[in-house]
Amino acid sequence: MTGALTTGTKAAALAVIVGALCLLFEGLMPWIISFPAAWTLPLTNWVGTGAGEALALIKPTARGFSDLMSYPMDWAKLGLNAAPWPLILGVVLALGWRTGGVPMLVLAAVGMAFVLASGYWEQGMNTLALVAVSVPLALIMGAGIGILANEVPRVREPVQVVLDVMQTVPTFAYLTPLLVLFGFGPVVGLVASAIYAAPPMARNVLLGLQRIEPEIKEAAIMAGGTRRQQLFQIELPAAMTQIMVGVNQSLMAALSMVIIAAVIGGFNDIGWEVLLTMRKGWFGQSLMAGMVIVVFAILIDRMSGTLAQERKPQFDSRIGWGLVALGAIVAVVTYGQLGETSDYAMLGPVTKQVDAGLTAFTTANADWLNALKNNALFYVLLPIRIGLDQAVLPFTWGFMWTSQMSLWLFAGAGVVSAGLIVSGRVMGGLIVLIIAGILETGVSQLPWPFALVAAGGLAWSAGGRKLALLIVALLASILLAGLWERALLSFYLSGVSVFACAVIGGGIGLISAVSPMTWKVVRPVCDMLQTIPLFVFLIPILMVFQIGEFSAFLAIIAYAIVPMIRYTRQGLVETPEEMIEGAIASGATKWQMLFHVRAPYAAPTILLGLNQTILYAFAMLVIAALIGTTGLGQSIYLALNKADVGLGLSAGAAMAILAFGADRIVQGFAEDRRKALGL
Amino acid sequence: MTVDLKNAITCQNVWQVFGATPDQALKDALGQHATADDAAAALRESGHVPAVQDANFEVKEGELFVIMGLSGSGKSTLIRCISHLLQATHGKILIDDEDIVEASDKRLIEMRRHKLGMVFQHFGLFPHMTVADNVAYPLRVQGVRKSERLAKAREVIDLVGLEGREDRFPRELSGGQRQRVGIARSLVADCSVWFLDEPFSALDPLIRRQLQDEFLQIQEKLKTTIVFITHDINEALKLADRIAIMRDGKIVQIGTPSDIVLNPVDDYVREFSKDVAKGQHAKLRSMMQTAGDTGAGLVHGADDPGLTQDMTIDEALARCMSLYEPVPVHGADGKVVGVVNPADLASALQVDRS
Repeated sequence: MTGALTTGTKAAALAVIVGALCLLFEGLMPWIISFPAAWTLPLTNWVGTGAGEALALIKPTARGFSDLMSYPMDWAKLGLNAAPWPLILGVVLALGWRTGGVPMLVLAAVGMAFVLASGYWEQGMNTLALVAVSVPLALIMGAGIGILANEVPRVREPVQVVLDVMQTVPTFAYLTPLLVLFGFGPVVGLVASAIYAAPPMARNVLLGLQRIEPEIKEAAIMAGGTRRQQLFQIELPAAMTQIMVGVNQSLMAALSMVIIAAVIGGFNDIGWEVLLTMRKGWFGQSLMAGMVIVVFAILIDRMSGTLAQERKPQFDSRIGWGLVALGAIVAVVTYGQLGETSDYAMLGPVTKQVDAGLTAFTTANADWLNALKNNALFYVLLPIRIGLDQAVLPFTWGFMWTSQMSLWLFAGAGVVSAGLIVSGRVMGGLIVLIIAGILETGVSQLPWPFALVAAGGLAWSAGGRKLALLIVALLASILLAGLWERALLSFYLSGVSVFACAVIGGGIGLISAVSPMTWKVVRPVCDMLQTIPLFVFLIPILMVFQIGEFSAFLAIIAYAIVPMIRYTRQGLVETPEEMIEGAIASGATKWQMLFHVRAPYAAPTILLGLNQTILYAFAMLVIAALIGTTGLGQSIYLALNKADVGLGLSAGAAMAILAFGADRIVQGFAEDRRKALGL
Repeated sequence: MTVDLKNAITCQNVWQVFGATPDQALKDALGQHATADDAAAALRESGHVPAVQDANFEVKEGELFVIMGLSGSGKSTLIRCISHLLQATHGKILIDDEDIVEASDKRLIEMRRHKLGMVFQHFGLFPHMTVADNVAYPLRVQGVRKSERLAKAREVIDLVGLEGREDRFPRELSGGQRQRVGIARSLVADCSVWFLDEPFSALDPLIRRQLQDEFLQIQEKLKTTIVFITHDINEALKLADRIAIMRDGKIVQIGTPSDIVLNPVDDYVREFSKDVAKGQHAKLRSMMQTAGDTGAGLVHGADDPGLTQDMTIDEALARCMSLYEPVPVHGADGKVVGVVNPADLASALQVDRS
């Protein structure tokens, strides 16, 4: 270890030095902490003006398109609403039968019965109408982009970048320019969900086409097919399984976005219902409407998911048609006698009971719920956010933090660090110092020179000079735009959430890997959490913990923890058999095997899970702005309400930069590990 | 041998270079260096890979031409240049006197539909089509009516012994059966030039031998021109009329199987033939002295053990174990066409056995 220092160690040392200097001089030079307003550029305004002009240019076309799209949408809405519910039920049951046999049929029957009984049939059909129009649009766009990227190698790289960006830009951020373009109303939701749902399709089409065995493509060429024949007769059909994965993801994305878009274009659909009841504090109803969304999500996901199976079982189509016919016959026989779908709402009392039960629960358990919330807030979240020096107050901690205590903290850290460095673990020692510094100062008040150096150093050791320069430049642009403090707040909240996800999710993944029984329980929960649209996560949390940062924290964890669990388990379970046998032959115990063999082998996979968790956390962060977060998410949400394109785009871009940076750095480390393992 | 057959395939100075700027790099290298070896070295210097280096050969009509080499020697690249799955960086490739490198896209499609067939190492079957649809596909792209193309497909499916499996999907077949589908598909359009890229390498040894024998029977029937790629010297010797041996992109030797075994040009080729039981492959024809060689007519002893020029060395040796004088070798018509010294037969087998 006494030899040449690694890049990582050098970067950490630099960060420690810069951090120490910042701490020393922060009294003298306050601009180290808060970037002076005088130094910022009116980037937000420029973006606003520029985008405004560009938008004005295409606005007539967009409005024309908007008018055009309102026809199919109205038809779909009219069709789904005018059709008697027995007919629709028949069609859905037939789809269930065709895609998954009896189990799917039962699932569809139970689900649709619930929708009818919930009293939200009409709103549900409106939402489905929106999905029904936006998804074909998204599929056509996505397939077109995917095929284009496959056919023209020159555009492949840029298309990939655009798709990456579209995935990292928060959903609300798209909505603002679309709002300006298309005006308030359902068409915005339609377009937004089509745009949001196209990338997964494009990605999977491209991936599917590229993954075809080269010899299959060559065989098509040698058969004398024209390029068009090769593509449509051989390549696309051969890639169908992957393309169906795209259709499935596209459907789920569209559904998720249709719900979110209710924030701007509510029109008596289910998303609007959730939002409205949530705002009014009618949690029982909100939960009911949310459950309708979940039912749709599960049905759409499971049915379309079977399309992507390699060898799907065949179910007799005659039974499917029979179900449709049965639905039609019932509809005709009962014509005029069915009444409104709302007549079938039988769950009203349940809603009331839920509300009452909830109130009873929260009052009965108020003590420990509040204790949980306050403890987490005062002893964990707040100190990380504003630092021990400000968070430790007599009112909460019982004593006042003094600058002497800071000295003691640093002295203690220094001793530990020195011990580590002497024993050869230079990196560990430096990290202890950095953590002590961050704890004392607080994430939201990190001096910007330190933040830039630390991020740059991290990027350097993860991905080399180019990545470091890119990330520092992008972060500097946030600084210059005057969005720095908000960005730090967002970084802080996503950071603690991701950390919590990593610890809890990693733990659950570990247990699931060791005990198959646990996995049997955890797996369906994970499936469920991944199917539920973002929005719905907020309802139960809000019911118990009310609006606030803690609720947002919980919502993010609930959503972002899933990949961490899945990837940790997968990585640990998928260690090659020979390695395990090697370890057993060497006499390793179960736990030794876990830590010495499985964990190192799983590291790249687990890092990939962490990467997904980060992206999920940023996605949820913006949605969580609805229930009270500060930072960029809030700015994006405010911009949406004020139709402020400049702020919306800039804050969205800043959020995307944070997500992008974290994504690339973690991927860089994962790549390093993979290479080190020769994978 | 004496009949001058037409060239079905001619390769002249064919280069295939991979890298950042292959065209320019090759042009520079050829401009600055006199020999192909020097040019190839210069290309490697500049970070390019000369996967095929200055290939020159002809394949006669109806000939079974085998290209052999280790993996990475450029043999797959070369066959892809000839079938124009890759655009050769430089050189002329004539198929029936037509330059395939210069051919238009339209003409290429035309040639592939009517003239060229190809079989792939990993079969390249279309996973979403049944056996019959796979085999009939080359006819489908030509716009042949469905009933007609399925009838034609059935014929070739029978030829490769897959009758009764027309409606199976590729995933339901064994490896050997899959390759039969691949062979049937490449034959359905009556090609005159047949490319086979390691067609039997992915199969286990027993199936491989069986398919090799069937392949020879099919070839006997169809008499197409064949370019066959393999890394297996035994396969090459068993099937080939002539063999080209490649190393690092370069063709190091072209010759008949007995040439390769008896007169390897360098250690690389010798290394290949080391494991081969020479006596089973080399024909007497390649060893005997003819009137032209000796310049003094054919002198031989009194014994005539009845050797013919198409006997292998093993067979010949078995007949003249106890003889010490040179013995006559007869042609197909029974006339004496050459002489061979039994001692030479024995010593030929000794080479490389140590």
